Amino acid sequence: MGFISDTLASIGLNEFVITLMFVNAILAMSIYLTLYGGMFSLANAGFMAIGSYVSVILTQNHDWPFLPAILAGMVAAGLIAIPIGLPVLRLRDIYLAIATIGFVEITRIMILNFDKIIAEAYTRLHMESEPPKITNGPLGITGIPVETKLEYLVVTVIILSYFMIRMHRSRFGRALAAIRQDENVAASQGINVVYYKNAAFILGAMMAGLGGGFSGHLSRIIQPGSYGFGTAVDILAYSVLGGISSWYGPILGGLALTALPEVLRPLKEYTGLINGVVLLIFIAYLPGGLGDPALWRSVRRNMSRMVHLINKGKTADAGA
Amino acid sequence: MRSKNLLFVFVLIATLALPLGAMAQDDGERPLIGAWDTCADPMSLSGEVKIGVAFAQSEAAAIYGVPQQQAVELAIAEINESGYLGEATLVAVTEDAGSTPETAISAFTNLVAEDVSAIIGPTLSNQAMAADPVAFGTERQESGDPLIPVVGVSNTRTGMETDFAASYGDGGAYFRRVSLPESKVIPGTVEQVVDILGIETVGIMYSDNDQFTASAYEVFVSALEEIGVEIVATETFATGDVDFTAQLTNIIAAEPDAIIVSALAAEIVPLLEQARSQLGYTGPIIGGNGFNTPGIASEDRGAGTDANGVVVGGAWNVARQNEISTAFTAKYEEEYGTPADQFAVQAYTGTWVVATAIRCADSADPTAVLEALASTADFETPLGTFSFDEEGLPEHEPVAQIIKDGQYLLLTEESAAEVFGE
Repeated sequence: MGFISDTLASIGLNEFVITLMFVNAILAMSIYLTLYGGMFSLANAGFMAIGSYVSVILTQNHDWPFLPAILAGMVAAGLIAIPIGLPVLRLRDIYLAIATIGFVEITRIMILNFDKIIAEAYTRLHMESEPPKITNGPLGITGIPVETKLEYLVVTVIILSYFMIRMHRSRFGRALAAIRQDENVAASQGINVVYYKNAAFILGAMMAGLGGGFSGHLSRIIQPGSYGFGTAVDILAYSVLGGISSWYGPILGGLALTALPEVLRPLKEYTGLINGVVLLIFIAYLPGGLGDPALWRSVRRNMSRMVHLINKGKTADAGA
Repeated sequence: MRSKNLLFVFVLIATLALPLGAMAQDDGERPLIGAWDTCADPMSLSGEVKIGVAFAQSEAAAIYGVPQQQAVELAIAEINESGYLGEATLVAVTEDAGSTPETAISAFTNLVAEDVSAIIGPTLSNQAMAADPVAFGTERQESGDPLIPVVGVSNTRTGMETDFAASYGDGGAYFRRVSLPESKVIPGTVEQVVDILGIETVGIMYSDNDQFTASAYEVFVSALEEIGVEIVATETFATGDVDFTAQLTNIIAAEPDAIIVSALAAEIVPLLEQARSQLGYTGPIIGGNGFNTPGIASEDRGAGTDANGVVVGGAWNVARQNEISTAFTAKYEEEYGTPADQFAVQAYTGTWVVATAIRCADSADPTAVLEALASTADFETPLGTFSFDEEGLPEHEPVAQIIKDGQYLLLTEESAAEVFGE
């Protein structure tokens, strides 16, 4: 174990980076569910922010233990997803993407101004006491103890993976796949489209909230600025690079996209450039993503062909 | 054949090592900076003393991080050439801290694994809040490894010292910075400005959704209260706004002696143009740290002459030069071909402060280095005479500057008269 972690650290993947890789894998899985149902939603950065802030406020201001706080953050994200999903999921494609970006921005700005809203409410309601500072505006919450451990994340990813595998073969998964292919046809076959789309959206939101809770207890500081459009695009990039044709694609994408800049870190100002070039090459030559089952099948086929050729060569040598 | 090769390698190594050996013995020319007489030449230091250097070398903050890195390298070269650490050489272990908290944490994690005596960096304040505790926070304290002092050279967020002390107890004292927080720059500047321009009332405008501008606003208010200047109007706007005429009209209607503006560079330019060209305000405009970018007064991209009469405080100004500063800026420009900015000067100062702590402690042990660091007092630097006060905050005289035709001049009665034509 020590040997493995030393080797990884020598290429830039220290314990913190590996932990972050798994947090991002969870975030990547969160968007997979909506994409699987054909919904191009970028809302998960907003749910991540909610999960992060709720869980951090609970552990910091209310002395909750870590795990219940994380779960509360997850539930909070899920609850907020209900009134958001119902109207927003009537939109499709790029319109849904734009509406959900709007949600991400609204969430960020709400968190930014949360203390002011509370203070305003206090004056309107003629409350005597001093309004509390909850989100601490643009400065964010600092000094958060690091509670997120790699073990928790690995267990979470395994549990979520199990659900994903089961989902594909379940009524729920098949309904989502049908909706992705054609919403109208799915509806005509008796699938309750609104119900399934919202369910996928809410489950995705909860996973993003969980990822947010973990990330909030990892970097010691949370600021509204960390949950903007850039984060929304990052989460999307994880699952696009990983590919959405398999459940493990987003996990691979999240792990790889977090690791890549760290491995390239010695390149300094060229890090971003090389990172971009690598991504372009991957997307151009692997349109199905890292987790494309067809890709792995062809790798396996080529491998066995190579093994076959080598063996043949050996027998030929022996024959000679 | 083989022995010939060996001989060749041996000769090669000897030739390469010769200048190195000569360099170590040669004391070279003594730089102007350094506590040469306050602390005796270190006797017990030897070999390599490693310090971690983590600045943004990639992404958005690299614009500050690159000059910082260059200045540190220049300082380290000077320190080693002059034999400041006696027999020992100062070695920088460099990591790219990127521009986000996460990349900085990762850089610090790599650095603490290298057993460095101190770390200089990171570039941004929020990176420092996230990454500095890697060196002295709870996990480090629990692991039993020595806590490592972290010296910030560009972190200006107010209250970092108290925040770290609240979260990490005694470990918090391992954070030091040479960059003046706004809480130190603004009061010093406001005092000079009010004195020189004779200001009695002000109106304040600030962007309330940005951490720097919001915290600077609070510092302005308390500094003004302290010296008894009356605030006659307060208006807010948001980062990203383009129209400030409504707020400016309200403020100008209150007829203050000066307008204080706490904003970032992107909002400053249209704000200045609207105040000067559209609304015809001619009085002084006092700015926070966001005004400390020469770009805002440039003719083509900035506000040009509309920036005339803007007063801004800073840690350093190319106009207020002492001998050490002149020597450094000349050397920096010769080495890198670009003029040194405030970030470079502060990074250079920080490196010398750390090296001085190592020299005075006569030890590479992080705790000994911290003790020496904390007692830094009256150290002559390019920023002026530098000390840490009793609360551990950096102290040196800030400079009040006034903009005239794209130039940052020192604020004096003469330069003010020149700008306002009185």
